[in-house]
Amino acid sequence: MTFSGSARCKIALVLALSFGSFSSQVSANGAIGDHVNNLHAHLGEYAEEVQWLEDKFGAVVDAYEKQGKGKVNTDVMIEYWEEVDFHSAIETQYVPVYATIWQGIYGVKTAIDKGADASAVRAEEAKLVHVLWQGLGAVKLASQYQKKGLIDQVQTTETEPTTPTEVIDDIKVRLDRVVAKYAEQLSEVATTLVFDTYLQRFEGIEGALIELDAPLVEDLEKDFNVSLPQAIEQDKGVDAVRDVVNAMQVKLDKAYALLAEAEKNRKSVF
Amino acid sequence: MQRRTFVQGLGLAGLAGGLGLLPGMSFANPANAVSVDSLPKLKGDLTLYLGRGEGGLYENVLEAIKKKNPGLNLQIRRGATAELANMLVAEAKAGVKRADLFWAVDTGSIGMITNQGLAKPLPDDVVNQLKPGFQYPMWSPVTGRIRTLPYNTERVRADQIPDSVMALADTDLKLGWAPAYASFQSFVTAMRILEGEKATANWLKGVNSKAKKYAGELGVVMGVERGEVDLGFANHYYTLRLKAGKPDAKVDIAYTKNDAGCLVNASGIISLTEGDLPINFIRYLLTKEVQSYLATEANEIPLVAGVAPPVGLTPLSSISPPDLDLRKLADIRPTLDLMRNVGVL
Repeated sequence: MTFSGSARCKIALVLALSFGSFSSQVSANGAIGDHVNNLHAHLGEYAEEVQWLEDKFGAVVDAYEKQGKGKVNTDVMIEYWEEVDFHSAIETQYVPVYATIWQGIYGVKTAIDKGADASAVRAEEAKLVHVLWQGLGAVKLASQYQKKGLIDQVQTTETEPTTPTEVIDDIKVRLDRVVAKYAEQLSEVATTLVFDTYLQRFEGIEGALIELDAPLVEDLEKDFNVSLPQAIEQDKGVDAVRDVVNAMQVKLDKAYALLAEAEKNRKSVF
Repeated sequence: MQRRTFVQGLGLAGLAGGLGLLPGMSFANPANAVSVDSLPKLKGDLTLYLGRGEGGLYENVLEAIKKKNPGLNLQIRRGATAELANMLVAEAKAGVKRADLFWAVDTGSIGMITNQGLAKPLPDDVVNQLKPGFQYPMWSPVTGRIRTLPYNTERVRADQIPDSVMALADTDLKLGWAPAYASFQSFVTAMRILEGEKATANWLKGVNSKAKKYAGELGVVMGVERGEVDLGFANHYYTLRLKAGKPDAKVDIAYTKNDAGCLVNASGIISLTEGDLPINFIRYLLTKEVQSYLATEANEIPLVAGVAPPVGLTPLSSISPPDLDLRKLADIRPTLDLMRNVGVL
């Protein structure tokens, strides 16, 4: 698994850290505490957890350097990550970074499990540590927006989008989750999420969209049904899956603008 | 099998005689659709379970009704139609009642609720607003859609297309279908009811050997238009919408005759609570304004008299859907079992 997309991801994060980019979707990855709706009060705790994770992951790599291949249980890295509240804080606020953290964890884990050179493992560890702190920055920013009431409360039950533009927003969040699930190495979950998103969300708006831009719908149809499932199925790596999703997000932005304009011009019912 | 000529339902002149009536269906001459201005104001609390509709257009209808009736406190629970139907049944078994109305996008789910005895009867004047063949005492169809055969106009001539859907299992044409799609499964359910299990299994096997599979029916229509396949199976509105966005699209619509291939399915609404408020809410959905809105904006077929069908719908004078109580389409499980057994799903 490579990490060549990290620089681009960083740029994207800087560009995207407007309050509109933060998600209010419920997590599908375990219980969420009330802390996610009161981020500001928990920033100290999150910072401690990130430091703790850095130390724990570092200890795993230290052990690998001393003991070598086959002597280190790398599954504990996932247990550490599942244990912290920071996990749901970033998962509920900024899924793209959340996905990159998973990518980083598996970067270190896979390198160790394969018996890579210690220097290569250290390089993966450095990327992981970097994205953990980057995630903390995103949560801090989200806490400021949250205090100002600029982002919605995290919902404890999933809500249905009701307008075409809300559907597009929801599709984009779901696609971010596809990358996250793939980065968690849950390929079947990721693939199911792609097809569910197509059938439960995109299929509902594509009729209206095809009246506005038929080639755009053809492109997105292919993305949903061929490009993205194939990238996952063929295990092309997190960066490749993210690339497909990023390209889809651009097309979905165009769809959003078209549908928003169409809704403005739509005739009234009565 | 009697043929139910879909005459007035498609804005055509005249009404075919000798139509067979099915149990639970009445067949009064329909009254013309009324204007919303003639309806009483809605006041009070209503909870509606709403199956996902086309691109938020049902939401626009609901918003308009709320705006016109400030005294109405309308709570909406949204979800996939089948999930909501299951939820209603489960709630009823648990002795819990939350919904006053259920607006479903397919009649299969309607049948599930009426079969459980949860629906409240509709007054005659509401039932009689619906067109012949769509008059049911315990639920009201809202709008319709027709099963069609979209075909590529550069690869196939209309006269090459058989008028029997069953014949397509033996055709040399290259076919496209979306067997995981709910509307397609309703169509197979209709075939199973009309033609029997064995004939349907053979048809599925025959088509499966030559069909390209798509995830959804818009995908089928686009595949037809691109020439990936010669002919597909899809609801009518996908072709109309593609042609609206791409007027030179190389696709047209053909219909079979008097079989599941030209089934007319419908969205529908059920009142789950006695009283005037839910019934009057249903009246709003049957007004000429709402019916016209859904026809023009979603290409759905109005099912009350006096409202024009969607613009661009192919002339339908020869359309002859099968006689079928649409609630029977609720019997979906044997269909899914059959499709799995023959390797289609």
